[in-house]
Amino acid sequence: MATLIFWLVVLVTVASAIAVVTARNILHAAFSLCLTFLGVAATYIFLHADFVAAVQLIVYVGGILVLIMFAIMFSSNVVEDTAEGRRGLLALGAGAAGMAAVFAAVLLLTSRLAEPLKTANPCANVAYAATVSVEAGQTGIGHCLMGPYLLPFEVVSVLLLAALIGAVVIVRKEVR
Amino acid sequence: MFTLTNCLILAGIIFAAGVWGVIARRNVLIMLISIELMLNAVNLVFASFARTHAGLAQPPQAHAGETGQLFALFVIAVAAAEAAVGLAIILTIFRNRATVDTDDMQTLKQ
Repeated sequence: MATLIFWLVVLVTVASAIAVVTARNILHAAFSLCLTFLGVAATYIFLHADFVAAVQLIVYVGGILVLIMFAIMFSSNVVEDTAEGRRGLLALGAGAAGMAAVFAAVLLLTSRLAEPLKTANPCANVAYAATVSVEAGQTGIGHCLMGPYLLPFEVVSVLLLAALIGAVVIVRKEVR
Repeated sequence: MFTLTNCLILAGIIFAAGVWGVIARRNVLIMLISIELMLNAVNLVFASFARTHAGLAQPPQAHAGETGQLFALFVIAVAAAEAAVGLAIILTIFRNRATVDTDDMQTLKQ
């Protein structure tokens, strides 16, 4: 049953990811992107990364997707068919080459890195992470975030603030 | 079947779709969406390896894969910042030049 659901999720994710790229209407691409985000979130749940799945839903589906929708509505003629906005055969060739390269990298990675790393894991000493379970995972994320990764966490918050201020400054009309 | 390899292949396909979109489409918005696709694929790889290593690690090193998941969270945060700034730039370009087609943005080239 789990296998069936997993394949269903994979099918939906791959199909919608390809639909994002090939859709003629930008709005259709955005809707397909929503499906892709949902599929990736489902895969996170399969990977026991429940917190990441929740963040994915909130940030991507609830935030970025809405932002993209707004940008599409603001900035382009949605009815306009973008069929000629593609670069035909050259692009297909480049895309196929890129896919081949990515697949080669994936195969290399799975053959080389499928065993545990020998380097020390900064989160290994967190007391709550001793057992491998979903609850321990969520607790461990909090302890990791407030422990070994406190500095990156704060830097990310500063980055978000700077990005938001920058976005406001960029779109603001000039006031003289 | 649900294995690391299958998850990585899924991520690879999503990433390749993103690369394809950035190369093949001329609409800036589609290119930005494709970049989001690629970031998602990378997050998927982080979560996959975190899960695998969590299952394989021995007791002294045992963990629930927090490091990989944390990196995915950081990437999500940076992706949100990138989307905000990118869309702001696109809106400004559209306001100034009334286009979202990359072929019409050749001011530096001419």
